[in-house]
Amino acid sequence: MEIIIKNQGTETLVELVGRLDTLASQEITPQMTGLQDKADGVIILDCKKLEYISSSGLRLFLTLRKAAAVKGGKVIVRSISPEIRNVFMMTGFLNLFQVED
Amino acid sequence: MNSAKNDTSPLKITLRGDIRQIPRLEDYVAELASRSGMDPSLALSVNLALEEAVTNVLLYAYPKGQDAVADIEAFASKGSVRIILSDSGVPFDPTKADTADTSLGVEERPIGGLGIFLVRQIMDSVEYRYEGGKNILTMTKNF
Repeated sequence: MEIIIKNQGTETLVELVGRLDTLASQEITPQMTGLQDKADGVIILDCKKLEYISSSGLRLFLTLRKAAAVKGGKVIVRSISPEIRNVFMMTGFLNLFQVED
Repeated sequence: MNSAKNDTSPLKITLRGDIRQIPRLEDYVAELASRSGMDPSLALSVNLALEEAVTNVLLYAYPKGQDAVADIEAFASKGSVRIILSDSGVPFDPTKADTADTSLGVEERPIGGLGIFLVRQIMDSVEYRYEGGKNILTMTKNF
């Protein structure tokens, strides 16, 4: 699992690569927590290369989304695979995030 | 991977300790998929259900300081898989756990509680029994 964070002015682009399973989620928790500092702006979670997500990964997404709600920012989930979209649908996450292609 | 003698024998794996062994489930489910004819997309879903159930055991079933062990045995046939997860931890029936309210908004939505919910969403049947000092969870998926 890899997380690549690029700051682009008021936007933060976060590229997630690989499998976000329980172990990987624990490994990238510091970076995801650090992103809360940027939660007053726009955070784009680029999931083009994200192959898999478990509930621990969903928890990281939701924690960031909650921080954005408090700080008045925005979290955009971009380019999820049909499989991950299905997980978002089952869990109601499609209603919590702005999901775009 | 596992050198089973034939495809009708159960496919087994044991995860010990903590969640560091969770990534081993990927190859395990891939083998199960090839034996049963699951497509890659469904294999990801089954991987997810299994990971959630196993994570629950490794993180919560055993008292602190005690080594966690999750035994998995799966039976594959064409169009169906049955996965049996057992542990010797404290008795816990995940089929009775609270279900997640997926209609809640961002502020009200609790951070946790999705793991078991996903197991029940993905699998066609989830049955629990406590027998011989073990939690035994049987999960079936037909396709």
